[in-house]
Amino acid sequence: MATTPPAVSSSISEALARLWVKFLPEIDARTAVLEAATQALMGGSLSQEQREAAHQAAHKLAGVLGTFGLHRGTDLARQAEVEFAGEVPTGAAGDLAAWVAELRQLIETRK
Amino acid sequence: MSRRILIIDDEDDIRQVAALSLETVAGWDVIVASSGAQGLLRAAEHQPDAILLDVMMPGMDGPTTFRELRKNPVTAKIPVLLLTAKVQGPDQRRFADLGVEAVLLKPFDPLTLSSQMEKILGWA
Repeated sequence: MATTPPAVSSSISEALARLWVKFLPEIDARTAVLEAATQALMGGSLSQEQREAAHQAAHKLAGVLGTFGLHRGTDLARQAEVEFAGEVPTGAAGDLAAWVAELRQLIETRK
Repeated sequence: MSRRILIIDDEDDIRQVAALSLETVAGWDVIVASSGAQGLLRAAEHQPDAILLDVMMPGMDGPTTFRELRKNPVTAKIPVLLLTAKVQGPDQRRFADLGVEAVLLKPFDPLTLSSQMEKILGWA
């Protein structure tokens, strides 16, 4: 496979940084959906609608975060996606809370 | 060699990063569409060399869009690569069975997306 010339890599990095800033509000909003659903799960009040929204948000985050270099973010979002996929999330809510908190921290750090 | 690629994805962020990647790294001409229906029109109008097609889209999803592309003689032979964040094996097999050239996983690496496509499509 041909190596990407340094000038192209640098140009892509700069453009990705601009796109990250542009799409950060959306990424923040999706993370907030996950946080709210996790809180609701821990409080025993997670609705079906909220679970589906969290599943969708996690799926989208999993697809995009690694593209911006946040591969750990993709892994965490995938774990949350699996957890919110079922009718009733099966794992410990504490795990989910830890994953979502780490996800938030990664996003804040990338800012 | 310059190529023309159509990206069909409802997510603006993915569309823009993929377009950036293909234009900057490979120097390809990129056309975008934000829905399956718009993608069908753009494909017929622009006759791209390949289509990068998202699986999960509201309204017409990726597999349905693919089947519609195949029904139209004008777009029937355009190679299609599905783009999905679904990593489970059964999902990927189901998508591959549709008859697409390949199933690419999200997240993709913006630096290597075009070379991955070149390899799959025999353009390398």
